[in-house]
Amino acid sequence: MIDLERAYGLMTLARRLDERMWGLARAGKAHFAVPCAGHEAIGAGYALALGAGHDFVAPHYRDLSAMLALGVSPREVMASFFARPRDPSSRGRQPYAHWGSKRLRILTLGGPQPNHVTHGVGIAWGSRLLGEDSVTWIAFGDGGAQKGEVHEAMNFAAVHRLPCVFCVENNLYAQSVPARLQHAVTSLSQRAAGYGMPGVAVDGMDVEQVHAAAKDAIDRARAGGGPTLIEASCYRFRANTSNDDDSRYRPADEAARWRARDPVRLLAGRLGARRARIQDESAEAVAADAAAWAEAQPWDDPASALEHTYAG
Amino acid sequence: MARGEPNDGGAERQLTLVEAVREALAEEMERDPTVVVLGEDVGLLGGVFRATEGLSARFGAGRVVDTPMAELGIVGIAVGLAMRGLRPVAEIQFADFLHAAADQLIGEAARIRWRSAGDWTCPLVVRAAYGAGFRGGPYHSQSVEAFYCHVPGLKVVAPSFPADAKGLLTAAIRDPDPVLFLEHKLTYRAVKGPVPAGEHVAQIGRAHVVRSGDALTIVSYGRMLHESLAAAEQLADLGIEAEVLDLRTLLPLDRPAIIESVRRTGRLCVVHEDTLTMGLGAEIVALAAERLAGELRAPPIRVAMPDIAGIPVQDPLEDALIPGRHRIVDAARTLLRGSRPARSAAAYDAAAAEASSVVEVAMPEEHLERALSAVERACREFPVCNAEFTWDGIKAHDAVRIDLDLGPRAPCRGDGTFTVTDFGPGSSALGLPAVRPGQTAALRIGAVRDGAAWLALTVDHRAVDGAVAGRFLRRVKELIEGD
Repeated sequence: MIDLERAYGLMTLARRLDERMWGLARAGKAHFAVPCAGHEAIGAGYALALGAGHDFVAPHYRDLSAMLALGVSPREVMASFFARPRDPSSRGRQPYAHWGSKRLRILTLGGPQPNHVTHGVGIAWGSRLLGEDSVTWIAFGDGGAQKGEVHEAMNFAAVHRLPCVFCVENNLYAQSVPARLQHAVTSLSQRAAGYGMPGVAVDGMDVEQVHAAAKDAIDRARAGGGPTLIEASCYRFRANTSNDDDSRYRPADEAARWRARDPVRLLAGRLGARRARIQDESAEAVAADAAAWAEAQPWDDPASALEHTYAG
Repeated sequence: MARGEPNDGGAERQLTLVEAVREALAEEMERDPTVVVLGEDVGLLGGVFRATEGLSARFGAGRVVDTPMAELGIVGIAVGLAMRGLRPVAEIQFADFLHAAADQLIGEAARIRWRSAGDWTCPLVVRAAYGAGFRGGPYHSQSVEAFYCHVPGLKVVAPSFPADAKGLLTAAIRDPDPVLFLEHKLTYRAVKGPVPAGEHVAQIGRAHVVRSGDALTIVSYGRMLHESLAAAEQLADLGIEAEVLDLRTLLPLDRPAIIESVRRTGRLCVVHEDTLTMGLGAEIVALAAERLAGELRAPPIRVAMPDIAGIPVQDPLEDALIPGRHRIVDAARTLLRGSRPARSAAAYDAAAAEASSVVEVAMPEEHLERALSAVERACREFPVCNAEFTWDGIKAHDAVRIDLDLGPRAPCRGDGTFTVTDFGPGSSALGLPAVRPGQTAALRIGAVRDGAAWLALTVDHRAVDGAVAGRFLRRVKELIEGD
């Protein structure tokens, strides 16, 4: 069973950090914000089903709640947002939300989506070759799911029954392109049948549903049952990034309908208003501290850009 | 020969290049259990070129994996294996198919260390057979090196000999960074050579002089390296000694080795089978231009595939397009013909014919001033002896400036129009001088014995007839001996 208190703490913290980053980006204090609002239940749901530091995660870029669950600190998140040297994923080399930490077993995420899906399959295969029972969680968006590379990755993982889980976070849009122009199947989980693996569709706004499906798939993978494809449906509450204008492609009433099912408020309702409020206030303070701390961090020496192209 | 098997104490056997590749794979798989091989047909079939033959039987289908036909997936999954701490060796059957995996190689493998500030690494090897010459057509014949040599973070290796194929593949598997290992398919079986038994590791990033020479430097790799060596043999028959530099590693480029050789020879010819524009030749010629501009004795030449969109399968068409030894010989001869004198050192045109004439002249020990004024006057009377030969015509110098060579301790400056050599008492009585670049004649005054010395004149026979040389020398004699 998922620890709802813990899940709520992660989700509300992710939301507060997200709102702060959006405002700071709009104020010109940082280059780039990638909202996670609407995806919090998915990240928290799967990350709490994994063994942090043991299992591997090839994350979706909207998985801020998962990153917090796995051990990335709020200050580190903000250092990444402000592109400062204390950014653990890239030392400020990559824009925000290109996660990565070898220590936490979070794969380094590049820009083109979803190039990390094949990496996740390689990691899973490597774990088997090394005799470790770690599982690899591979998350990506509905946009990324349309690329041929995902087919190659899922097919290989299924053929070799590799210990991994594929999770499509379907928020109905690849930036502006709607689901009806992306795929003809009603649920992307139906594609699992084509690879000979189980396919599961869950409500990605409900952290308990996500966690239950994740746990089931992770247990099966760890036991040698091979991969699972999970489709978690959700809706992003903001534009694609701080450089996007979603009013050009999404009807306002659609967003309003989904906001009525806000994953953070849904869980607050289950937790009770008083317990939720305590966590909200704490999250707000942590987010404010993280932003102030990160913005005050020094820049790197420009010569350091020449490091790390090759070893040594 | 793998460890654990009897060997002959490091003795070298003759192996083909593909056998050397196979041996490196087997020995590294034996040494390191994290080395895995993946690709299309690498298991039961042993690879379409048989580079992985026997590995599946020896190491099992768990470490030698036949993958679906999906190049992007093969490289992407290998990237994941490398990030996980394994040492994957992915085979892409034909380098032409690597384009499908370019995003994983360029955007991911090469950038993972940098983009994570050294946190994650990607010690991956991608092997691919490249090159034309076997009627493979436009999709089984390409040379792809230039695309990938433009990718910082990647290393690109292209061996020419079996020993290097083994040593460099072993080094690539142990390298902490991603390596694209290019094997020219026509060298797989056509090139055979000594290969050290047992562990053999070569250093990535080092070029190697495979033939020494001083007339020009030929830079090449892969199959074209062997064509360059064949061309060098033909050039030697013409009296031209070419130095041949085998790059071995294309990225990072061994710049010091290229500069060192070209500085010595002053002439550069780059040979590659890849197409001309933006190819490796462009970078190497740019390097020479930047670093050796004043020392080059002729404009460098690139011998390469013309800029065509594909390699044709039709026999005479493919044969005509692939650069070969004859084009390299032509390029070398052009380099030597188009040479200009180096500013830093005396240069002699190997193609210049010389003629000599000798006469005995009465003169005292103290004769230099008199001899120089005699030569100066004779030069004015015979402008062709105070001139320069060029293929556009003989150009008389406006003034007479004598380069006086008084021996090794006082060599002449080298910017004159005529050379007089006089080593003084104790030197040899007779010796033939050499004509310097930019001049048509030189005079040597031998040691004075019994009130007389031998004067020897050498002329550039392309400019000065023997009869004229004789008359010039007689005139110098008259002027020295007269009042």
